[in-house]
Amino acid sequence: MKTLLVEDEPATARYICNGLEESGYAVTCCDNALDGLHQATNDEWDLIIIDRLLPGGIDGLSIVGKLRELGKRTPVLIVSALTSTDERVRGLRHGGDDYISKPFAFAELLARVEALLRRAHGAQAATQLRVADLTLDMRTLQVARGAVPIALQPRELRLLAYLMRNEGVVVTRTMLLEAVWDCHFDPQTNVIDVQISRLRSKVDRGFSPALIHTIRGAGYLLGERRTGAAAPA
Amino acid sequence: MPVFRLTDSVAARLALGNGVLLVTLILVTAGVFYFGTVGVLARSTDGKIVSISNRLRNQYGNRPPADLVREIKQELTDGIDSDTEIFLVTAPSGRPVVGNLSTWPPAGTPMGRLINRELIRDGRPSFARLYVQPLPSGGLLYVGRDLSEQLAIRMLVLHALEAAMAVSLGLVVIGAWLSRHQIERRISGIRQTARAIESGNLEQRIAVSGDDEFARLGVDINRMLDRIEQLMNGVRHVSNAIAHDLRTPLGRVRARLDEALRREPTAPALSGAARAAIEDIDELIVLLNKLLQIAEAESGMRAQSFERVDLNRVVHDMVELYDAAAEEAGVTLAVSSHDPLWARGDHDLLATAVASLIDNALKYAGRGASVEVAAHCEGQRAVIVVRDTGPGVPESELARLTERFYRMDRARTQPGNGLGLAIVAAIATLHGGKLQLSNADPGLRAAILLPQPQAARATAATAGAHLSNP
Repeated sequence: MKTLLVEDEPATARYICNGLEESGYAVTCCDNALDGLHQATNDEWDLIIIDRLLPGGIDGLSIVGKLRELGKRTPVLIVSALTSTDERVRGLRHGGDDYISKPFAFAELLARVEALLRRAHGAQAATQLRVADLTLDMRTLQVARGAVPIALQPRELRLLAYLMRNEGVVVTRTMLLEAVWDCHFDPQTNVIDVQISRLRSKVDRGFSPALIHTIRGAGYLLGERRTGAAAPA
Repeated sequence: MPVFRLTDSVAARLALGNGVLLVTLILVTAGVFYFGTVGVLARSTDGKIVSISNRLRNQYGNRPPADLVREIKQELTDGIDSDTEIFLVTAPSGRPVVGNLSTWPPAGTPMGRLINRELIRDGRPSFARLYVQPLPSGGLLYVGRDLSEQLAIRMLVLHALEAAMAVSLGLVVIGAWLSRHQIERRISGIRQTARAIESGNLEQRIAVSGDDEFARLGVDINRMLDRIEQLMNGVRHVSNAIAHDLRTPLGRVRARLDEALRREPTAPALSGAARAAIEDIDELIVLLNKLLQIAEAESGMRAQSFERVDLNRVVHDMVELYDAAAEEAGVTLAVSSHDPLWARGDHDLLATAVASLIDNALKYAGRGASVEVAAHCEGQRAVIVVRDTGPGVPESELARLTERFYRMDRARTQPGNGLGLAIVAAIATLHGGKLQLSNADPGLRAAILLPQPQAARATAATAGAHLSNP
C-alpha cells in the first residue's frame, strides 16, 4: 500500500512511518506543506496521512482542499493536536475521511487506516453479511449462527454489523463509539468492553469457532481466528 | 493646568464648536439690531436731506434770492433740528450768500449725491452728511446734517457688540475648560481602572455613579471585566490543577521507567515498565482532555454552535450505551420519559454530561440499586434527571461534589479523577442552566436544569393542543 505522510514533527513522523512499514505499507514522508501538496497531487497514492499544523502556519486542511478540488478521491486521514469537536467537524468537512487526535496509540492509527482502505475498496454495499457461519441479513435484520437464530437489540445489531463489515480488521473502542453510538467523546469507563462482552455472550457462547476477539492494547476484531496478533481474551 | 490642543481633547473640540455657534449667533443678532437702529436712522436722515434740498430748489430756485435767504434763516432758527442742520447757499462766484458753514467743499464736489465731509459749522468742526446741487441762478445749494449723534449711537452699538463678543469668548473658554475638566474627571476613573488591570490587578472595577453615558459605559466595561476575570480564573484553576495533578502521575511514570533502567534490565521487565508507563500516560491524557473540556465549556466558545437537541433522544442514547455496564454492575438502568424534549445546546456536551451522571450513579449506587433517567419539562425549564436508589451523599458534602478533583472518601477506592461532576456543572452553566444535586432519600438525585427556548415551548404547546383537540 503506497502511503504519503505529511508530518513535520520528526519523532511523530518516525513513529508513524516505522509502524506502518512494519505492517507492510510503503511510506513516503514529507515534512512541509509545499512538498506534501506537490507529492499528493503529482503522484498516485492509496492513502494520505496529513498533520494539521505544519511549518509556516499552514493548515494541512488546505492540502486536502486542493486535492479534492483537483478531483482526487484518495482517502485522507487527518492527524491533529486540535482535538475539539469543532475542529474535527472542520477537518471532515474539508474533505478528510477520518480524523485522529494526538496523542494516539499506534494501534488506533493502524485500525483507522485499515478501515479507511477497506471503505475505499468498497466492501460496503452487501445486504447479507457473513463471517464463517455467522450471518446478518441487513434487510430483515436476522442474525444467525448456522441455522440457530440469535436475538439482538437494535444497538447490538449496529455493533455487530460494524464489526462484520470490518471483518479481520482491528477496530478500536473510539471507532466503535463513533460509528455505533455516534459519541464523539470518551466516556472513560469500560462501557464498550461490557457491550462487547454482552454481544460476545450472545454470538459466541456455545458456538465454535469464537469470532469476536479482544486485541490487547488496541481494540476488537471479528473474524475466524488468525495467527499472530489476534489472541482471544 | 491642562493645555488645550484640539487634536488631543474631545472637550476642546466640542467647546470650540459651541463657541463658533455662540459667536455666529451673537453676530447675527447684533447685525439685525445694528441695521434696525443705526441703518434706519441713517436712511431717514438721508431722505430728509434730499427732500429739503429738492424742496428749497424747487420752491425758491426761480424766485428772488432774498426769499431763499429768508427761508434758510427761518429753517436755522425754527428750533426743529436746528442744532444739526447744515445749510449754505453760494453765489455763482463762490461767495457764500447765507448758511451756517464757515468752510465747505470746493466747487467740483459731486453734485446730486450724498457725501460725508469734515466741515466747520458755526465755528466748530463737524462730521456731516452733505447733499449739493446747483441752483438755477447759477449758485450752489448745500444741505446737510451733522452726524456726531449718529456716530455716537453707532459707537455705542459697536462697543456693546465688542463687549458681548469678549464675554462670549470668555464663556467659551470657561465652558471648554469646565467640560474638559468634567470629561477628564469622568474618564480618569475608567483610565485608572484600565491601568490597574494592565498592571495585573484584575479585581479593579470602575466606580459607577449616576446614569449618564459614562456611567452606562462604566457598567458595560465592568460587565466585560467580570467575564474576563471569570475566564482568567477558569484558566488559572485549570493550570493550577494541571500543575498539581499531573505532577503526581508524571512522577510515577518517571520513577517506574527510571527503576526499570537502573535494575539489571531484562526484556520482560523493560516491556512491562513500558506498558505500565503507557497506561499511566493514557490516564494523564484522559485527565488533560477532561480539564480542557471544562475550560472549553467555561470559555463559552461552544455556545456559538448551539443547535436544537432532543434531550429525550440524548438520554435514550446514553442509557443504551450504558445498559450493558449496568447489567454487569447489577444495577437496573431505565428511562422513564419518552416524549421529545427540545432544547438549544451542543449535542456532544449534553451527551457527555448525561453519560457522566449515569456513570457516577452506576459506580456509587451499588449492586441491586436502580437508576432512573428522565428528560422532562418542568415549568419554563427542561430538566434531565438521573436518580439512583443507592446510599446517597451526606448533605454537608453535596455542595463540594462539583469542585474539581474533590472526591468523597468512599469514592477514593473507585477509579476516577474527581472531574466528572465538575464537567457536568460546567456544561450546565454553558447552556445557561445549572446542575442541582439533592438527596432523594434514598439515593442521590442529580438534575441538569436547562432553559427551554421559546420556540420549543410553543411547539410543545401546539402539540398538546392537537392532542386535546382532536
